[in-house]
Amino acid sequence: MLKRALAIITLLIIGYWLAQGLAGVPFGEDKMVVGKYYLEHVKEDTGAVNAVTAIVVNYRGFDTLGEVTVLFIASTGVGALLWRKKKKRTAKTEGSLVLTTGAELLFPFVVLFGTYIFIHGHLTPGGGFPGGATIATAFLLLYMAFVTYEIPHRAFEKTEGLAGIGYVLVGLIGLAIGGYFLYDWIWQTWGWGHDNIGRLFSGGFIPIIYTLIGIKVGTELSGIIDNMLKEGVSE
Amino acid sequence: MNAQYASLLIALPLISAFFVPLIKGLGNKAIKYYLAIVTAVQTGIAAWVFHQVYTTGDPIIVVAGGWKPPVGINLYFGHFAALFVLIVAVVSFLMAVFNFKAINVEPVDKYAMLFLLLMLGATGMIATGDLFNLFVFMEITSISAYALTAYNKTGEAAEASLKYIILGGIGSSFFLIGVALIYGATGTLNMAHLAQLAPYIDPKVVQVGLALIIFGLAVEAELFPLNAWAPDAYQAAPHPITVMFSAFVVKAGLYAMARILYLFASATGWENVTKLLVIMATLTVVVAEFSALRQKDVKRMVAYSSISQIGLIAVAFALGTQSGVDAGVFHMVNHAIVKALLFLTVGYVGITLGETKIEKFSGLGRRMPLTAFAITVGSLAAVGIPLFNIFWSKVRILLAGVEAGYTWSVALILGASVVEAVYYLRLIHTMWFTEAEGEAIKEDLAIGTIAIFLVLLVLFIGIYPNYFWTVSQKAGEDIFRVIDYVKNVPLMGVGA
Repeated sequence: MLKRALAIITLLIIGYWLAQGLAGVPFGEDKMVVGKYYLEHVKEDTGAVNAVTAIVVNYRGFDTLGEVTVLFIASTGVGALLWRKKKKRTAKTEGSLVLTTGAELLFPFVVLFGTYIFIHGHLTPGGGFPGGATIATAFLLLYMAFVTYEIPHRAFEKTEGLAGIGYVLVGLIGLAIGGYFLYDWIWQTWGWGHDNIGRLFSGGFIPIIYTLIGIKVGTELSGIIDNMLKEGVSE
Repeated sequence: MNAQYASLLIALPLISAFFVPLIKGLGNKAIKYYLAIVTAVQTGIAAWVFHQVYTTGDPIIVVAGGWKPPVGINLYFGHFAALFVLIVAVVSFLMAVFNFKAINVEPVDKYAMLFLLLMLGATGMIATGDLFNLFVFMEITSISAYALTAYNKTGEAAEASLKYIILGGIGSSFFLIGVALIYGATGTLNMAHLAQLAPYIDPKVVQVGLALIIFGLAVEAELFPLNAWAPDAYQAAPHPITVMFSAFVVKAGLYAMARILYLFASATGWENVTKLLVIMATLTVVVAEFSALRQKDVKRMVAYSSISQIGLIAVAFALGTQSGVDAGVFHMVNHAIVKALLFLTVGYVGITLGETKIEKFSGLGRRMPLTAFAITVGSLAAVGIPLFNIFWSKVRILLAGVEAGYTWSVALILGASVVEAVYYLRLIHTMWFTEAEGEAIKEDLAIGTIAIFLVLLVLFIGIYPNYFWTVSQKAGEDIFRVIDYVKNVPLMGVGA
């Protein structure tokens, strides 16, 4: 009781202190120092209509590379910690016929929609991370509906690695062509898609990177699901 | 050569880590060789950057994507970053050699990826010039550190990792809230730009934001109330990883703390934050030294000793004077060398004898003379005996402390140093003056070479401290003189 009361009092003090800090932040006022630049220049700088993805992939692409790495570490870490020589799914209850048939029917639609999301990252809300997560959901659906389903590990692991390499390579090509790491060579050097803004084939290297991220995130999250659903079996 | 190629320091470990799944089939031995080669190349690039920065005297600014800051993200390889990126790479390379002996737990391929990404995270944290990018690299470092702590898959490793995850998770959320507050008040994330705007921010926001950021980083930097995870994690992690934790992961956190602290030096209410930091850091020294005294396990004892030294560096950084920062950087370099030596040799004893309990060390001088000698040198250096490297940096930190008016802190640290001498001398006594049980052991050539190299480095800096002292001074100026830092970053003048 005393512990709880003390915790509540401490939290109230911290909350008050944070509120004091927040009161000094001018909300709703013109504080768009860098933000304004993005809004005004995004189209001619990057060729993307979606300002968020343009910032995330192009202006501040370095952060996204880092985020992709964080996810990679998460899946690698789960893989390392749950590693057993032999692992098997130990699910016991078979799903009902409605569930399995429904999952089978839904699977291609979910994958298709996920692909749609990451391909259109420069035009519509979304991008590589939501697209990849949607694709992983499709695999989760199969895992939940079928007792024995397993993703093809070897292929998935290699695809994941290749997609990551692809992202860094796109950046390194930028270093070679434009002189800067992660330089958007397709838009700024080749000028490809300049007369096509707002259409599918535009946006510089954003669609390419988002496709790679989508594939990477999809395979990675599926791998995490796979690792967590399987248990070690003694030989 | 184009200076932008310094971005390879980030790109190389990344692409190599992504490449590991493709060569997984070649076997564990091949993966370990691959790790050694990658870290060797990284060391080469880092040495080039170091040479470039220290001969020209100008920092290398890497502009990601060709977008000038603050619109894009920039990396800043000044004197400090060039020095520490080199240390990170060299220590990683030495540990890649140590891996051959130390890592036999499966899956080695996953270990290799996490190892490379831990190195990448620390490199990025030291090099970045953007506040949010710092957060991203901090996450890379800490998440790979969580996974590597639990890598041995023992119950105690899992517990240590869980503690670390929870504390680290809370810490980074606080850091993120702090970044959000600062961004809300200024509208920019670039460090140079922030330093320019610092005097105009509402002092309340700066204090709250800065305190949150420092609090978040203190988990990584192992300052007193937030370092409970550290001794457990140090003890439970694989031996090479412990070396990396103490040699550079903590340092990256400390540096980030110091960098952000000095960016806001012109803001009102800044002194309150540094005062708080001095108190926390002094407490870290005292608490860690007294905890080390009671330890029965040598690895854990060295871990506590490492934390206390970290506290000493934090005191130096929080003094707010040029001489303090210089001494702090010098101590960072020395501590990286000494603790790499100590954890390496203690870890080696742990591998050969099975565990690192103090009883195992009795008579080690006769059984493994080279290792015991290296541990002895490391211990004497850690205590800060003249003619060893830490003596110089410790003296400088204490002098800077007195100069800045923190006599109480200096007195406490000196008292704690006596405690440090007691437990290290006890270890030396156990190794050389107690009866040995068991045969003499043939020592490993590669690890012996690394140990001797580090021992020579300790003695060299101890006898000729001048070269390293000038290097540290330059690196310290890089942190302290924010005006020069701002001048060096090619800001675009957005919204100013």
